[in-house]
Amino acid sequence: MSKYKDAPRVRLSFALAAAVGAMILAGCGSSSKSTSTTTPAPAPAPSTTTSTTAATSSSTSACGSKPGVAATGTPINIGTIDTHQPGTDFTDGPNMINAYFACVNANGGVDGHPLKLFVELDQTQPAQVAAAAKQLIQSDHVVAIDGVFDLLECTIDQSYWKSLGIFEMDAGIAPECWSTPNSAAVNMGPRYSSDGAVQYALASEHASKIVFVQSNVPGTGYIAAGPAALAKASKVPITELTENVPITDASSVALNLVDDAGSNGSVVLNFTPPEALVILQAVQKLGLEDRVKSWGCSTPCDTDFLAKALGPKWDHKLFVNAEATDADDHNGPEMQLYKAILAKYGSSVAGGIGSFSQFGFLLAKFLVQALDTVHGAYTIKSVNTAIEGIKDYKSEMLCQPWTYGNLALHIPNNADYTVTPESGKMITVQGCTSISSADPQIAQYHKVASAHGVASGLS
Amino acid sequence: MSAAGVETADTTTQPPSSPGGFDTRTLVRPAVIAALLLFVVLALPSILSTYYVDAMIQVAIWSIVALGLGLLVGRVGLVSLGQAAVLALGAWVAARILFATSLPYPLVLLAAGLITMVLGTLVGLPALRLSGLYLALITLMLAGAITVVLATTNFPNGGHGFLGYNGSAVHIPQIRRPSIANTDTAFLRYSVIVAALMFLLVLAHVRTRPGRAWAAIRQSESAALAAGINTTLYKLWAFALASFVTGVAGGLLAGSSRYLYSYDFTTQESITLLAVVLMGGIFSLWGAIIAGLLLQLLPQLLNSWGVSPDWLTILFGIGVLQVLLTAPAGLVDQVPKDLARLGRLLRGLARRVAPAGGRSP
Amino acid sequence: MHPFILMALSLPSWQDEWPFLVTGLALGGVYALSGVGMIVLYRTTGVLNLSFGAVGAFGALIAWQLINHSGVNQWLAYLVCILFSGVLTLAYGMVFGRALAGRDPLVKTTATLGLTLVLLGVMDLLWTSSGGASRAITLPTDNHGFMIGQVQVSTTDVIGLAVGVALTIVTTAFLRYSKLGTAMRAMANDREITATLGVPVRRVEAAAWFGCGIVSGVAGILLADLVALDATTLTFLVISSLAAALIARLSSIVITFVAAIVIGVVDALITPIQSLSNYRDMTPFVLAAVALLVINRHRVISISQEGI
Repeated sequence: MSKYKDAPRVRLSFALAAAVGAMILAGCGSSSKSTSTTTPAPAPAPSTTTSTTAATSSSTSACGSKPGVAATGTPINIGTIDTHQPGTDFTDGPNMINAYFACVNANGGVDGHPLKLFVELDQTQPAQVAAAAKQLIQSDHVVAIDGVFDLLECTIDQSYWKSLGIFEMDAGIAPECWSTPNSAAVNMGPRYSSDGAVQYALASEHASKIVFVQSNVPGTGYIAAGPAALAKASKVPITELTENVPITDASSVALNLVDDAGSNGSVVLNFTPPEALVILQAVQKLGLEDRVKSWGCSTPCDTDFLAKALGPKWDHKLFVNAEATDADDHNGPEMQLYKAILAKYGSSVAGGIGSFSQFGFLLAKFLVQALDTVHGAYTIKSVNTAIEGIKDYKSEMLCQPWTYGNLALHIPNNADYTVTPESGKMITVQGCTSISSADPQIAQYHKVASAHGVASGLS
Repeated sequence: MSAAGVETADTTTQPPSSPGGFDTRTLVRPAVIAALLLFVVLALPSILSTYYVDAMIQVAIWSIVALGLGLLVGRVGLVSLGQAAVLALGAWVAARILFATSLPYPLVLLAAGLITMVLGTLVGLPALRLSGLYLALITLMLAGAITVVLATTNFPNGGHGFLGYNGSAVHIPQIRRPSIANTDTAFLRYSVIVAALMFLLVLAHVRTRPGRAWAAIRQSESAALAAGINTTLYKLWAFALASFVTGVAGGLLAGSSRYLYSYDFTTQESITLLAVVLMGGIFSLWGAIIAGLLLQLLPQLLNSWGVSPDWLTILFGIGVLQVLLTAPAGLVDQVPKDLARLGRLLRGLARRVAPAGGRSP
Repeated sequence: MHPFILMALSLPSWQDEWPFLVTGLALGGVYALSGVGMIVLYRTTGVLNLSFGAVGAFGALIAWQLINHSGVNQWLAYLVCILFSGVLTLAYGMVFGRALAGRDPLVKTTATLGLTLVLLGVMDLLWTSSGGASRAITLPTDNHGFMIGQVQVSTTDVIGLAVGVALTIVTTAFLRYSKLGTAMRAMANDREITATLGVPVRRVEAAAWFGCGIVSGVAGILLADLVALDATTLTFLVISSLAAALIARLSSIVITFVAAIVIGVVDALITPIQSLSNYRDMTPFVLAAVALLVINRHRVISISQEGI
């Protein structure tokens, strides 16, 4: 402890280094502002770009009842909880909802009331997620929980929402998002999306064996139960594997997968985009694409980035489950509105067009639609009664109408597309297809829904 | 937050060479500490918003973890880069016992502490032959190994078997809390009391024979050996004590979180922990509380101001460099000095300005 | 059932195992790159540079940025990455390395963790993961290669291994035979005495830091291709590489290289054994822990100079 005689000099040089560091930071920050739009931000095709720019003001006016009139009443407070930690950043979801709200507020609001979104971010600490929920209700006085993009939230806050009579709308990951009365998701989540990919391998590729591999995170058994049930119903053997993430030895993983699947089998992956990419690239480097019948992947693989990063050998070899309508292929009024809002209000949506912002759009849109049905004061009771009452809301982005309802569990999105890479883009190879009721949870949902007179399948 | 830190620090800072963390030469200081503790236990939980009640629970828990690491680093000179893994062990053991039995919570905490202590000591026993850098690196290796095991076995979630994990569970049951501390405010009181007990336990060691032995080892291990101190025994003792309090903290963490995930016990967490412990100050027990505040309250504050958590990582990195270069005693020592310097500067300025302005205070 | 019984029951045949030997060699090359790079600096300055991976990741991300968003030629981008890593490491060495020169290796090593945290935070700020972003660097050598049996070996794998071998040979020779290298070795032993002998200590140190930075940049590019272009992954990958360096007791470059290869191969060979597969990431840690404890079992209690 005696070596600080030249402390002042050290401090000076330290300050200098800090200043240089700050400069570098500032420089990088400004130069890479636009570049943080990392992956799936493919600019809309030229024709759509011009049409959207020309029609921006008029087309975003579709999100409110009084075009061009700013809402000035007392705000309606909405809350959301989203995962944001180094490496796992779901903030595109709430950012898109904020963009939609900004659009609504600029066009008359909800009956003159502007919408205000309170965003609580968490770093996957359960206690923090629980505290965030209480903060939203007790301090921020929100009347609805909408747009939760979170790894853990459904598990942790379910009993709290239930005790308050809150019906949350989310795009989740935890099993409770699809298995409780108080949560309904616009996405399918890992289990049903994996179901979709396995189902395609079984039905369309006639795989004689399935190897289902996923990242080793809590709840893998719950996810794998779906694909296992589907394979069993088709009397096809299935091997369930998990891999610790981050994967550092992708080549070994790739070899192991093809060895397990054999030439007539299919490998189905359930990973985040970076991990899926690492495995698929290793397969490509080792030249193993054709050693199995086909490759499958749950929704996260559905990005043009992946299609571009992988070579042409994957075209019509890799089949990805897609939970929402492809924004590039479709251009109905709703898709145009989505793109227009993204262009005008969505500067903070780093990923641009993609499933995160599409789900954010849907969650905001359904909420606003439900709020329009509320008469009188906007309280937790009145608003959540309206949310629970959501029935058959139609959207171009989903295969089927979306319903909440007073049900013991909700899987309102249970029909999917299948896409495959083709010349650097993901294209649709199979239109809306129901996830098989061989998955007991899906069967359970249809049973519960029909008992309550709710249409739950594809119409 | 910093204001509280300054107040407490100002009254208790001591030169690094002194073995004691608290000073009891007068009766005033223990009285102040007791009053502070009473305030934290009785008044604070009722005035804080629920959000910060939870943050303070985490502060209490992580202060204990920082206390354990600070003991190793500051008192004995052993750097562990794997304390998050030790905490995970404690939490795992506690969760397993809580799901399997209906034992009273204090007993569970004690068991978690003791089992973690045995495991920590087993790890420490062979590692103690290694010199500083090697010891730090081997704890990093062991923490890496524990992380892999935990990622594979997962935390107990009410399942059966030894591991108590049911991967197929659709509804995961909560980990129970003590019956007297089921609400958040009650659990905060409970955590603070447990934390205070842990601090007293460590203080009792620091101020008696083990503390003197550690101080001797820290100054010069060869001199300590020559003086007839069983250095291996006392190093192991430090490992055992640090593991025990960390295990107890793990038990509290299980109850406070109610769900445990392997996401929360990464190697990066161990490194961040070392960073905040160094920043808080390793020569005073107050440093552990500051470390807890830095690690658990600051992120929540930044969160509510909409600042990205990445800035915190950067801050902690700069903090490590700053502490190692210029302020080895950490914030607990640095902030009062800086404030005193600032005060002198302001007074000097005031004096210089006063004649010119013609208004003398 | 007990995992080891299961293992005994389902040991894969040699036929199944041997492709994994090939991927294991490639993985070993990955570990060797960082391991050897860290040892070089440690032997000259007594600093175990734990920010090695973070610096390389930063360089690789800059290269990715230049290639994908500024349309810079990829080789130029890689050069920028390598130079950036060199300069960044040199700057750290000049400011903090020098200020801490007289301190215990433990203090110097802990300080590099500070740099690691700073770089991690900055990288995550600049290259966010929002919207499920993912990035990749694909070297042109990925698409060339040859078959060993049924396994395609890409030229990048070979380059990774070759760079590891080259680094091992060049630095070993350099430290032993060149004047600068001898100075570096002397300095690691005792900086003060070396200085009094007329060795330009600062310049030698600067060379060591810059060299280490260059190696981390090269490793950053190669690992971004071979493993993943992800800040956290690359940053903490050094911990696995460190295992190899530890087995070599932070001194022998050759043993570090061999240990890295062994770790890579063992790791890969465990992959097809289902009951153990999920535990295979423990390989470096377990091997390092065992090696350290065995190597050190006859040592008397060692004395460190100074705590933090």
